[in-house]
Amino acid sequence: MKIKKGFVVRTVGGECVAVPVGEMSKNFHGMINLNGTAEFLWNFYSEEHSLDEGVAALLNEYDVDESLARADVERFMGILLKNGFAE
Amino acid sequence: MIYNIADLRIDIRNQYPYTTRFCAAYLSDDQQTAVDIVATATAEELQKEKMQSPNFPDGYIENICLYRNICLQLPPFNRMLLHAAVLEYNGNAYAFLGRSGTGKSTHTGLWLQAFKGAKIVNGDKPILQINDDGVIAYGTPWMGKEGRGSNTKAPLKGLCFLEQAKENSIRRLSPAEVASKLFLQLLLPTEENAATKTLELADRLINAVPAWLLKCDISEAAVQCSFEEMTKQSFAEAKGRGL
Repeated sequence: MKIKKGFVVRTVGGECVAVPVGEMSKNFHGMINLNGTAEFLWNFYSEEHSLDEGVAALLNEYDVDESLARADVERFMGILLKNGFAE
Repeated sequence: MIYNIADLRIDIRNQYPYTTRFCAAYLSDDQQTAVDIVATATAEELQKEKMQSPNFPDGYIENICLYRNICLQLPPFNRMLLHAAVLEYNGNAYAFLGRSGTGKSTHTGLWLQAFKGAKIVNGDKPILQINDDGVIAYGTPWMGKEGRGSNTKAPLKGLCFLEQAKENSIRRLSPAEVASKLFLQLLLPTEENAATKTLELADRLINAVPAWLLKCDISEAAVQCSFEEMTKQSFAEAKGRGL
């Protein structure tokens, strides 16, 4: 799975946000606030990766146990998939 | 016709006379030299706007479309639209922001009552120029339904977000707090480069200009609260001097 094109990601006031542009902005009016983990996963899944690869990447980056990392990736990508921001 | 707005040369190509009258105070003496921005309203844009405001005359509809068109072209010039009431006092500009109906007009109106030297730069839709060395707020012909403002500019020294309350209080906002509130008052382009630049300008604005949250009622005490915090001057003294 990967995040669809059509977002600009920038840090504003120290907070990372993803803003829809072009075609994406026609279906989604608003913005997505990304915390540290979310920003990391957003960047990671800008390329095609499996769920397991995302969990491994997260474990490599953060000092968390695997079940928590898996839950994080599942929840985050689940939200993006559900909203049509990832495929 | 070519106009000078926010220190840019803007060629506004309107079909209806409404905008010519509307922008008259900003007409450029120089109708020859190259321009920075060409503003047009497409038939599609007019149609869309007309659906939202079916009872307004075509010239008025076109006028709204033209300003949006201008504003969407501002980011490459380090400028952007801000939805705010901006006033000037003692050579500095202060912006008051909040959702419609929170009392921007009322609060800035109270400032004008308290200080003879205060004037409205733009009551609703000023343009900001955001550079590394500071931010400038500009008056523009588009200044909301009350039409308060003038063809002027001043360095922006404060962003003051308003909330209605029974008691007056003011506190500084953290950059993250400002970001979440500021987004509601910006025109975010949907074109990628312009959107990226707007976010960059918003970040620069947050870093360059201090911001506060003012909880206020409708009174002179509310003005004292925002005045003293933002200008670092004594309200009683400034008022006593008749400024």
